[in-house]
Amino acid sequence: MARAFARKKKGREVRYTAKLDAVERAVVAGLMEQVHDLVAPEPEAVVPGGPGAPGAATAGAPHDDFDAIVSGLGGLGMGVSVSAEDQVPDDRPVPADARSFGDRDPALERLLPAGNRADDQASAEFRRLTEHGLRTRKARHLTSAIAALRAPGSGVELDERTAVDMVVALTDVRLVLGERLGLREDADVDRLEEELADMDEDDPRLHAMSVYDFLTWLQETLATAMLPGDTTTA
Amino acid sequence: MSIAPVQEEITSSDSLTEPDIPWITLVWNDPVNLMSYVTWVFQTYFGYDRAKSEKLMMDVHTKGRAVVSHGPREKMEIDTEALQGYGLWATFQKDD
Repeated sequence: MARAFARKKKGREVRYTAKLDAVERAVVAGLMEQVHDLVAPEPEAVVPGGPGAPGAATAGAPHDDFDAIVSGLGGLGMGVSVSAEDQVPDDRPVPADARSFGDRDPALERLLPAGNRADDQASAEFRRLTEHGLRTRKARHLTSAIAALRAPGSGVELDERTAVDMVVALTDVRLVLGERLGLREDADVDRLEEELADMDEDDPRLHAMSVYDFLTWLQETLATAMLPGDTTTA
Repeated sequence: MSIAPVQEEITSSDSLTEPDIPWITLVWNDPVNLMSYVTWVFQTYFGYDRAKSEKLMMDVHTKGRAVVSHGPREKMEIDTEALQGYGLWATFQKDD
């Protein structure tokens, strides 16, 4: 059973600690790796739905034990995939005010949205100037968070800087997973929960949603512990 | 807080600066970002106090969007980029 993030003071240093078992850490790290592959500034990874996403296996090699755990869970449906190729097409119309999807993967578009809704040219210029930096920064947060989850030990311990990496990485993973689950407006959450109630228990969306809920819980406890002035202890 | 737009004839978005026209950074509601996290971002990035950060967060949540900063265009682009880096749905535009 996982235990929430809590803020602790060790002398002058602040630490955020949580207890997650090996499977929980592997699932979260595995999803972060997928999002890293989606967002990292590699030209090949930008092509949506391109055959055999070339970056997919690169980060796996040093972590065979964890990958084995995750892939072993595939039959249980916990090996949630956020890869664009594995998604059921979402035929619902895109909310008119919301996005400029163009032909990009909507999850990527959610991570790197148009900067100006009123002016396409300004958006294009903003994207040209900021996209590489944003992708680099997001990839760095994810890499740091993955390393923290794969550090030896029975829990997760973060210093202040790594806690920022973690809370931002959890956001990006939830944004991608949320998009894969069709969560684009507040009303979608209720709709999905109603659908899930009647869903076959083998439906991969049910497992994806339980992972999403777990990530939500985890991020909530970390964000709350990090709020300045909050003195919560374990 | 309002400055009348002066002769809004120029529609191109090149950076002919229009110093009299303020720009704003907006954050839009989404179903994923957590209220605690959004508050934390406003406190951390802008240095706003808890009360102001929570007010802005609630505006995003209940009104669908909130103006989180205003100033010259270049600064609004920097804010937008930073907030997108945090995963918030941020945009910049002219304050009209």
